[in-house]
Order: sequence, then structure tokens, then C-alpha cells
Amino acid sequence: MSGAMKGWDGLVSSALLGTDRRPPHFEELPDHIRQRLGDGGLLDAAALATVYKRAGRKPLRDLEPLPAAPGEDGPLPRPAAVRRLAAMLGGFQTSALGEWLRTADANGWGVPPEHLPALADYARHRAEYRPLVIAAAGRRARWLAEVNPEWRFLHAAVAESNDPELWTHGNTIQRRTWLHALRQQDPAAALEALTEVWPAESATTRADFLGLFADNLTLQDEGFLESALDDRSREVRRVAARLLARLPGAQYGVRMTERLHSHLTPTQGVLAVDLPRSLTKSMERDGLDSQNPDGIGKRAWWFHQIVATTPLDAMDLDWLSTPVEGCAPEVLQSAWTEAAIRENSAEWARALLRAEASTGSRSPAELLRLLPPEEWAAAVDVLRRTVDVAELVGGLPVPWPPQLGTMILDQLVKAGTNRAWARVASIAARAVPPEVLDHPITREATGEEDTWRRRLVETLTFRSEMYQELT
Amino acid sequence: MEQVVGLAPDPASAKAGQGLARAAKWSGTGATDRALWGLCQGSGKQPYQTAVELSGPAYKCSCPSRKIPCKHVLGLMLLWAQGEVAPGEEPDWAKSWLDQRAERAERPERKPGEVADPVAAQERAARRADRVSAGLAELAGWLDDQVRQGLGAFDQRAYGELNRLAARMVDAQAPGVAGALRRAAAAVGRGHDWPGELLEELSLIHLIVSAHARLADLPPSLADTVQTRIGWSIETARVLAEGEKVDDDWLMLGRVVEPDDRLTVRRVWLRGATTGRLGLILTFAAAGRPLDPLPARPGEYVPGALSFYPGALPMRALLTQTAPRLPAPRPAGLTVRQALASYVESLAADPWNERWPLVLRDVRPARHGDGWALVDDAGDGLELLPGWDAVKLLAVSAGDPITVAGEWSRAGLRPMTCWRDGRPVML
Repeated sequence: MSGAMKGWDGLVSSALLGTDRRPPHFEELPDHIRQRLGDGGLLDAAALATVYKRAGRKPLRDLEPLPAAPGEDGPLPRPAAVRRLAAMLGGFQTSALGEWLRTADANGWGVPPEHLPALADYARHRAEYRPLVIAAAGRRARWLAEVNPEWRFLHAAVAESNDPELWTHGNTIQRRTWLHALRQQDPAAALEALTEVWPAESATTRADFLGLFADNLTLQDEGFLESALDDRSREVRRVAARLLARLPGAQYGVRMTERLHSHLTPTQGVLAVDLPRSLTKSMERDGLDSQNPDGIGKRAWWFHQIVATTPLDAMDLDWLSTPVEGCAPEVLQSAWTEAAIRENSAEWARALLRAEASTGSRSPAELLRLLPPEEWAAAVDVLRRTVDVAELVGGLPVPWPPQLGTMILDQLVKAGTNRAWARVASIAARAVPPEVLDHPITREATGEEDTWRRRLVETLTFRSEMYQELT
Repeated sequence: MEQVVGLAPDPASAKAGQGLARAAKWSGTGATDRALWGLCQGSGKQPYQTAVELSGPAYKCSCPSRKIPCKHVLGLMLLWAQGEVAPGEEPDWAKSWLDQRAERAERPERKPGEVADPVAAQERAARRADRVSAGLAELAGWLDDQVRQGLGAFDQRAYGELNRLAARMVDAQAPGVAGALRRAAAAVGRGHDWPGELLEELSLIHLIVSAHARLADLPPSLADTVQTRIGWSIETARVLAEGEKVDDDWLMLGRVVEPDDRLTVRRVWLRGATTGRLGLILTFAAAGRPLDPLPARPGEYVPGALSFYPGALPMRALLTQTAPRLPAPRPAGLTVRQALASYVESLAADPWNERWPLVLRDVRPARHGDGWALVDDAGDGLELLPGWDAVKLLAVSAGDPITVAGEWSRAGLRPMTCWRDGRPVML
């Protein structure tokens, strides 16, 4: 596109001003053009020159190719599997996308790189897909993150390398990932790294980074967390209290246990509750919230929080069936639900479910998932008499254990066309594990009106084909 | 089911279609061997009338959507694929449309080269030749005037003036020249070098005009090229009957689709496996209408014969496929220098040639200004078309050398297909 050809600019200025005023001079044009021009005029000369210019286009020089992304690509799965991926990215059965990515990764298959931009776009607003897309992008992650600022989350993949530069000079995503990775490998080193930069970080960053310490908590963290209880940021104090409540053997638990004992006395087959009269400074420091939500009185709310953050080993499972005096038993039950969830206690969860305890703002499903997966099917079978099945199973991680999948599909076979089961069917369609996809329900005839059953069978078949293609 | 979804113009339509694939959304549905139809309540009072002719498939829907097929059509087809459309009698509104289509399809096909009324056709051609000659003569005079008086003076009114002339050339039945004038109009005031660009465009129009003035003296193939540039179209039947025929396994290098307000144009570039001949299949469709299916996926062979349109640089062709498409190996490519040289050869044959297919070997992406370029082993680079979204190409390459087939024009290379480890990827 350069007008660098000799004589061209002369033609242009002649054409601009008009040949009447400025007759064109052809002497400057290259010989080839002059010889062919004969007695032609300005437009003839310009036509020749134009074609010469276009033909004389030179390659660009001094360009720096992008550095190659280091590493190897995984082998690609069968073309049918790739076509299915493309169909999902095109809007068909898109909710199975995560399952495709997980299965492909588990089986050692790579993702065709041409689909990475669409995947990255998809994961932009869906955080739960991001780790999958990061794994899929492999060696291209950093690359893509730099090509499109909206895919910066892909930087997380790069930050898993143990490069301390990323901690000191990386962006927030890289630093977060770096700290997270270090916390997995060397919890003490992560604590040291965070302590060093602590005073200089913003409140949001402090709270965010501190939250990463939930993994591998040890008593070595206690001192730091205790000091964070005095942080100037409310959010940081809240995170620190939450973490301390989850740290077995910490002074925090001792303080809570003492508080519990001063407000609850088990005597003569009765739990006697004496609700707190005020919220002390030290209770507030330990993260107790003064403001009660709707539906519970202020003092009951303070007591609820004490029970919820007291270590479960300071309490007794028998209390679940002991009469309560001084407050509504539901206050205790919902607080124990909180405590069971906080401590991941299968024992308490089992007992609370068995006692049909009030779970407060939590769903029974949250207790259910604390049980070992092999107990889920039996528990759901019992609970479904009192709790909505969809709510119960909808909160369980997928894929379900085979027994639960089989049990729910068996129920759905019996349900006929009852629309009340539509929601369970749509949850089960996504959640039953690969082993159960070939359930007899997929071979039963569906009628005109069986919309939910037809959808269920369609999704089960789709997933079953997907697994076959990815093996 | 997937086939139906595959017809959707975009993912949003596919999704919306799935949402409408419920019997409750429809009334008056029915199907015969040739068609299905139904009424779907939209936001307005009248339900939309939706019908699908199955052999095409061809679609009709009274909704205002410009997407073809629209979500109603997709929904209806999905419903039908689920077995929820019962057989029935065609209602009048669907029947009249279907009958019209059937009638059109039944009209007897002309034999190749056969003209309905040869005398009338000749008269028409003669009349047109006169109009073109008169129009071009007027244009020649106008061009000379502008150059004598100076393009500078014409800056303000250039755009309108050139478009007026373009309309005049359409009247004179020289649509090719009209297109060139509109391109020239678009150059006015664009970029700091617009006078140079405008002079380039006008000089090439001048070249057509003067070539047309001595059409009889030109070699026949060049005369054909000039006629084509002016806008004489050649009947498909004539190309199939008289055009040069080349049998080969045609590698589909790629395709470029250019949607427009009124017309979607698709260019499919082919290269013969044994002859090395290049071919271009042009397809047009009204905006929003589907184009014919591609003869193959990029990177596959189509065994068959290309019938070339006449011209000094025979490129445009019609394909008669003779066997199913086949997988093909990665094509051999050129260095950037060789590729540019191949374009020069094409210019030597047809100085108006604007687009040329290139296959580049072992090129890597590099930043170039705000955009991208491809660089070969020797360090020579070609810029990519400004504004072209390179992200897919970049993801495939990851900085490693790849083979790229693209469409070269003065503005840059528009990649169509790239090969990584022998696997073609459509861009």
C-alpha cells in the first residue's frame, strides 16, 4: 500500500490539481511504465502504475513472531466426541459441557484448540467452569489470557508454577492462585508469605487471601488469626473468626466452650438455657453478630451463635433428645446444624437428620451431604416422607453414587407422568453417574404427554453416548 | 434432533427453538409427506403461521424475525422430530405456499445452452451492448473532465457524484462498473492517502472503459474478462456446456462468507490435487436466507469436474461433484515471497483481480500494529485483514508454525483454514 513508487506522487498531485493547471510529468516513472505508456495520458499512466504497485507489494519485515507456548498437546479424542463438544458450544445440551471437559481430562484427552476461545467465553461468567477451562487450555492458557483481557482468569493456570515473581509482581488472580497453591504444599510458608505483605494490602485483598487459609488449617496459624480478630476491616475479622471456629484445639474454641457452659447447664435430664443478657466486647471480638435476623429474638440469636461456633466435642449427642428449658429447642437444633456443617461431622449430621431436627436457615440437604455417599440413598428414602425430594437431592454434589442414582430413577419409573416429579427428573438427568446411564427407564416407551420423561431419557442417552465417545 | 439444531443460524436461535419444542406452545399443527405446519402464539394477537417443506427443507414463517430458519421453524421441527406432530390436512395458507413451490420446481429445465427464444435473446443482447457502450462512453468523458479539472476541487461532492454515476451505470446495464465506482466513492476522504487511493480506483475504471472501447482487438479470453468486469453475466447452462472442464480431486481450501444488507456472498476456493488448478465457486443468497450446503468441509477433497467461466484468468467455476468427499492430507504451501509472486502472475493475466487464494507454509502469528500478521521461516510477513478476529487461529497455533490457507486482497490476508498436525481447522 506504500505510495513509494517513483513518480506516483507526481501523478496524484497532477490529478488533484487537474492536468489543465499541472500537466503530468512522466519522466520520474519507472522505465517499464514509460515504455508501455506511449502517448497515453494521466489515467493510463496511473493505471499502469497502480498495477505495478500492486504487483510490487513487498513482504513485511522485522516482525517478531509470538513466542511458542511451551509444552505438549494432549491427544485429541475421536471426531465424534469433538463434534459433540462443538454442538454443546453451539447451544445443544450445553449443561453437559462441564462433564465432557472433566471426563476428557480424566481420560487424558486434550481439547481441540480451536474451541478454546468459545470455552473461555463460556467460562467468563461461570466461575465453576474456570478450573475446567484452565485445565483444557493447558499450555495455551497464558497465551490466551494475554490475547483477550476478558480471559484473564486463565492467568491462574500460569500462576500454579512456583515462580515467586508472581507473588510480588503478578496481578491479583495470579497472586491468589500462587498463594493457594503454596498453601496446599507448604502451609507455613504460605502463612509467612501473607504475613510479610499483610499491612500493605487492601481490606478486600486481605479478606480474600485470608479465606484461602481454610485449607490445611493448623495451630501454627492461630496467632495470626487471633491478631486478625483485631483487624480494622469488619470483613477480615469475620473471616478470621470463621477460620478460628474451624481450628481444633484453638483458644477460640476454649472461649466458646466457656461461654456455652455459662449459658447452658445439663441437669436432671433437662438442658437448662440461660440466654445471654448482653453481647460483651469479647463476644463481639470473636465474631458474634449483634444484629438478629427476622424470626429470632436478640438474646436467642446471641446464644444460637455461641452454640454454632462451640466445638462439637464440648457437646453431647444425647442432648438432641433431651428436653430444653429457657429457649425454643429449634434454636439449639439449628445451631447444631451450623456446627455440624462447620466441622463436617457425619455423626452429628446423621443424628440431626434422624431426629428430624430443625435446620434453621440451612437445608436438610446440607446435612445429607455430610454423610458418607453410600448412606445417601437410604437417607433420602427415609427423609422423602417429610422433605421435598428435589430439594434434598438438588443440593448433593454430582455425580451421585450409583445406589442413589438407581434409587431415584427407579422412583421415576413408578412416577408415570406425574408432573410433580419433573424437577427431580431434571436434576437426576444431570446427576446420575455414568454407571447408571443405561437404566431401564431409557428403554421404556414414552407417550405424547410425558415431556419430563422424554427430556430425562434424551439427556441420559446424550450423556451415555458422550461417555462412550470419550473412553 | 441434532440435525434440526444444526440448521439453526446461531446458538441463541437453537436455544429458543428448543424452548418452543413443546406441544403446549402450538395449535393447528399437522404434517403430510411433503410438509409440516402449525400456529404459534407470539407477542401479537395473531399467532404466527409456520410451515416447513421437508424436501428442501424450505421454511415459511409469518414472524418478523430475519433469521432463517427462525425459532418457530426450529421449534416446530423439533416437535415433529419428537413425534408430536400428527398427520393432517394442509390448511389453505400452507397449501398455497407449498403449491407455488411445487409449481416452480416442476417448470421444465432447459437443456444446457438452450435459449428460450434465440431471436429475442439476440435482440436483447444487442440492445444491452448499445446501452453499455453509451454508458461507458459517457463515463470516459466524465473521467477525462475530472482529471483535467482536478480531483481536489471535487472533494466535497465526490461521494455523491460517484454514487450518482454508479446508479447511471446500473441503468446502462454495467453493474460491474457500478460496483467499482461505489468502491471509489468509499475511498474519498478515508485515510490521509485518499487521493492516491481514489486515483488507483479511477485509473482501473478507466482501464476497463478503454479496454471495452477496443474489445474486438483484444484476445478473446481477455475480452471475456473485460465483459465480466463490466458485469455481463454468463448463463450457468452455457458454462456447464461450453466452459473449460477440469476433472480432479478438488481440495477445499476454505470459504469466506460476506453478509450484506441485501445479499450474502460466499466464496469457496478449491485447488486441484493433481492439476494444481485453482477454482472459485460463488454462491449468493438473499440476506438472512441460508446458502446452499458446502460441497465439503475445508481440508477435504471433492472429486469432480469444475466448469470454468471464460476469461484471461479462469477462476470462477461451477462444480459437478462425481463422488463423495474424501479426507485430504495437509496441502503443500508456499513461502510468503512465493505466495506474493503467485498473486503477481494473476495480475499479469487480469489486472483487475482483487482476490487470490494463498496457502502459506510454516507461518507463525506476530503482532503488526493493532492487528496481526503471519511470518514465515525466512522472516517475511503478510498482514491479516484488519479487524479480522484472529483468536481462533492464535489458539490453534500457540506460536508454533502452521499451514494457513487464506484469501489475499490488498487489505490483507483473510485466513480461511489452518492445519495443525495435518488436521484442518475451519477459521
